[in-house]
Amino acid sequence: MTEVTSDALAAYAGFQPAIAPPQPTRAARVMRLMLRQPLGTMGAIVLLVMLFAAVFAPYLSPYDPTAGDPAALYKPPSALYWLGTDAFGRDILSRLIYGARISLIVGFGASILGVVVGTAIGVTSGYFGGWYDSIAQRIMDAMLAFPMLLLALAMAAALGSSVHNVIIALAMPIVPRAARISRASTLVLKTTTFIEASRAIGCSNLRTIVQHILPNTFAPLLVIATAYLGLAIVQEAALDYLGAGIQEPQPSWGLMMSGSATSLALTAPWIVLFPGLAITLVVLASNLLGDAIRDVLDPKLQRTNL
Amino acid sequence: MRAKGETGILSMDRRELLKAGASGLIAATLPAAAWGQTPKSGGTLLLSSGGDPPTLDMHQSATYLTEFVGSPCFSTLLRIDPTDINKLVPDLAEKYEVSPDGMMVTFHLHAGAEFHNGMPVTAEDVAFSLDRIRKPPKGIVSPRKGLLGNVKEVEAKDAVTVVVHLTAPQADFPFQVANPYNVIVPKKVVEPLDASGQGMKRTVVGSGPFKLSQAVDGQIYELVRNEKYFAQKAYLDKIQMFPIKGEVERAAALQGGRIHACFFFANESVLEGLKKQPNITSLRRPTPTFINLIPNVKMKPFDDIRVRQALSLAIDRQSFIKTVGPLAGAFYHSYGLLTPGSSYNLEAADMKQFAGYDTVPGVGGDIEANRKRAIELLEQAGVPKGFKLVLLARGDIPAFRDSSINLAAQLKAVGFDATVDVRDAGGFYAMETGGQFQCLAHSVAVSGSLPDQILGEGYTSFGGRNYGSWKDDSIDQAFRAQSTESDPAKRKQLIRDFQIQFMKTYYQINLAWVGYGAAYQKSVMGWTALNDLYANMQMDRVWLNV
Amino acid sequence: MVGYLAQRLATGFVTLFGVALIVFLVMRVIPGDAAVMMSGAGSGVVSQEELQQVRHQLGIDRPLVVQFADWATHVGKLDFGTSLRTGSPVIEDISRRFPYTLEIVVLSMIIAVGLGVPAGVLSAWLAGTWVDRILQTITIVGLAAPSFWIGLLFILGLVFFFHWSAPLFWQPIWMDPLASLSQLIWPSLAVGLRQLALIARMTRSIMREVLGEDYIRTARAKGLSERRVVFRHALWNGALPIITLIGFEIAALFGSLIITESVFSVPGLGQYVVQSILDRDYPAAQGIILILAAIVVLGNLAVDMLYGLLDPRTRVQGARA
Repeated sequence: MTEVTSDALAAYAGFQPAIAPPQPTRAARVMRLMLRQPLGTMGAIVLLVMLFAAVFAPYLSPYDPTAGDPAALYKPPSALYWLGTDAFGRDILSRLIYGARISLIVGFGASILGVVVGTAIGVTSGYFGGWYDSIAQRIMDAMLAFPMLLLALAMAAALGSSVHNVIIALAMPIVPRAARISRASTLVLKTTTFIEASRAIGCSNLRTIVQHILPNTFAPLLVIATAYLGLAIVQEAALDYLGAGIQEPQPSWGLMMSGSATSLALTAPWIVLFPGLAITLVVLASNLLGDAIRDVLDPKLQRTNL
Repeated sequence: MRAKGETGILSMDRRELLKAGASGLIAATLPAAAWGQTPKSGGTLLLSSGGDPPTLDMHQSATYLTEFVGSPCFSTLLRIDPTDINKLVPDLAEKYEVSPDGMMVTFHLHAGAEFHNGMPVTAEDVAFSLDRIRKPPKGIVSPRKGLLGNVKEVEAKDAVTVVVHLTAPQADFPFQVANPYNVIVPKKVVEPLDASGQGMKRTVVGSGPFKLSQAVDGQIYELVRNEKYFAQKAYLDKIQMFPIKGEVERAAALQGGRIHACFFFANESVLEGLKKQPNITSLRRPTPTFINLIPNVKMKPFDDIRVRQALSLAIDRQSFIKTVGPLAGAFYHSYGLLTPGSSYNLEAADMKQFAGYDTVPGVGGDIEANRKRAIELLEQAGVPKGFKLVLLARGDIPAFRDSSINLAAQLKAVGFDATVDVRDAGGFYAMETGGQFQCLAHSVAVSGSLPDQILGEGYTSFGGRNYGSWKDDSIDQAFRAQSTESDPAKRKQLIRDFQIQFMKTYYQINLAWVGYGAAYQKSVMGWTALNDLYANMQMDRVWLNV
Repeated sequence: MVGYLAQRLATGFVTLFGVALIVFLVMRVIPGDAAVMMSGAGSGVVSQEELQQVRHQLGIDRPLVVQFADWATHVGKLDFGTSLRTGSPVIEDISRRFPYTLEIVVLSMIIAVGLGVPAGVLSAWLAGTWVDRILQTITIVGLAAPSFWIGLLFILGLVFFFHWSAPLFWQPIWMDPLASLSQLIWPSLAVGLRQLALIARMTRSIMREVLGEDYIRTARAKGLSERRVVFRHALWNGALPIITLIGFEIAALFGSLIITESVFSVPGLGQYVVQSILDRDYPAAQGIILILAAIVVLGNLAVDMLYGLLDPRTRVQGARA
């Protein structure tokens, strides 16, 4: 059959609309996306607000977070101190704002570091296979079996409690999880035809990985990164609470709930209440954002729970 | 002074001990009628402390967590008089004498005293115990080695007589022996345990008014009355100690009537809450615990005395007390190096000669002027503005951590870029003993308030608290001079001179003294709080008025 | 099947060896050791010679390889050594504390599944209604709130409203079951909240999908009652992902267990392991972490086995990649 014989079909085949339908602008597409995912959008907004607060902390916070006023110990929320003061007479709102810096830096830092390192291991492991793969997988399994908080606790005790050490300590439990997922993606992609094609036309391994595999693992990894952002922030707070993480007098949300704070929580519950609320809010926002991203990028992933 | 041979309700005053040739006539314990009620026998006392004892070996420990559980189970040769911290009463030794030249102290043990396992308490056990403290066997640590540093030899003359030969006369010696941690243990039981490395970590065999009946890590430590106690038996049937970490939780348990007493509170807010309870007695009193800022003299620029002076000038003691007090109990101050209220204290006017010490309450100083001077001194010493100063702190104890936080804030006022490096206990001690720090704040809890104890431990280069690694033979000499001086008037002068000499070096900078609180139901009778955390914890005169 | 099991056990063994190595090395890297802890606990400076002697007594001055080999061979014989802190065998310490932790785990699982699944089902059934919206909000917040903060809030509330105080003596379940449950219900709730939220959300999304699938329509077409349709078919097929989820979460559970035990001062394994790390009690910390890791590995294995049993589709796939 080489020719179209029916007139109606021929007319249809040659149909050209007189005016092309308007292409939605970039902005309009984003708007539509946001409207379809209201929760995710709210989450993104909350995170942006936190980010803003963290960056502009010196301008936003009413008091110096480390300067205590001995005359104002354990004051309940008032016009002077919107969220009250703590055991040292430090303004809780200011500490909350500055604390956002630590939580976000550590949260993002650990999550990104963990995902980047994990992906590097997972993708190369899946792509090259062989001995390297087996050994890498056993190490990842061992790290996975290690209770997350304990690994972070031990690493923090070993490295000391500066911010970058805490980031490393908290990234460690994320590495094997990211490695697992990126490896699984890589294995699936390896069998697709276009990877074979890429090899066939002589692309080097590196090019194949960077140009073809990585972009396709991007979606699930973005989802993990946002999911683990929340987890990293909570773990960081837990570490601070146990006394192994960020130390005084740097303000950190977890730290605000520990130490002298617990002893006095009954007489001054706002000391414990607000930092926890802040953490909950940020984790909530990142979870919602992660869910929305997942929905948008790949609805099939809905089943996969992380 | 009483004549020889006379006994009665008396205890030897320290000053009377100094008199050459004095024989220590010590009577039986004070009668219960001193408290105005007839004690009732029976009942279980429910106590709580801040955690599990890290070890049950009294000789190796220095924490109240061990001492509160251990003290009722053991005896020392002598013990502090429950009504007067400056007096001694007999425990295992019913009397003792000091030789005329002060070089020999003879203790006469109670006849018929037994350990909990039925073995008799002999002079050999006493000699073994004292030797274990002053010359610990391999693998055993002894924080109070220095307390018995003056002992040349401990001789078991016969079954009930122990003669201690000193290298020099020491007026405070009987008090060193009366330290609540210097308990008498059975040689036959402990010697093999030491050889195997176990020590008395989990084994408690003493001669005290109570016996350990169960120890469950994290849950309960139970003591039962020793029916074969060599002195008057205890009133209580049992004592149960529950480790509860948080002070708020302990206070809640006390308020709710689930425990009878807790003899360790640091936090003021918690004590305030307890003070409001009508059926609970709560109090805080100063103890021989002081907080010092300790620069590492081996590290530049802290080897320069001007820098150390600047450190002292930068700190407003009143502000320190105001902030750290409610959190750690650092409410007290003293003029000089000894406990608040000590007869050896300096005068307020004396304090003015020491840089920074005029901000101690009652002296009248100007912190602004002090800080200006500090900045000048730092300039002279070549310390640039913004010099990075890291204070090493221990994170789990408010007295350490919160002091450091306050100090860092205050040091900023003279141009230091001061931060705090908080470590857990293990990391902190490793770095502290290894000299890996610039400055730190240490809360030194001495288990006694005598000059030999406080000055010996805290302010000699060989004492246990020389974390800053300073070395000065003249100071050590001055210490030995006062320790061996038998004339009380001369000694007082020597102690005064010592304090002035040391404080002028700023090797350690004293900030405040700590007092701990205790709270107990009004039904708990027979316990008195002394200005010491560890004394009078054998619980043998305590009874429940129910 | 047997071959698969054997292979999984073998890889599990290798994993555990890896864990053992990691924990051994990490503990040694932390500054300060048991000797310093023992002598440093409140006392003054102890000389380096004395510390060395203590180290020798404890055996921690031998070369690392020797220490590791010694420990590993003992572990092979199920001898986890003696705790440097308590002086009693690690196994004894663990077996004394294990019941509390186990009780919390079981209770929190019961709460999570017992409340989570019905909540998820209800939510799915009434999707879009205000009941659904409220449940969704609760679960979403439950996922985000840090469990130790929840625990702290519980304590605050309990003390404030009920004049509650922490139990002096935690009853093991065989001694006094009722008291034990009433004591441990609060930490279990704090731990279980997150699991509950996860399970509820998962159940909801699965139910929603499954409710639209073909075999449900078939069942409806066959005339089975609505209720039976939902409960028999939907739940059965939804069970699989829920079990997988529980498997994934075991390791995370330990994390929140550890910190919640600290908040409530429960004398369980969580508190013990934190204490051991802080006290540099090598045998105890190493022993417990190894045991916890073994539980995670075995748990994952069990989940995989269960998966294989319940879902014939996965049986075709041989060994896991």
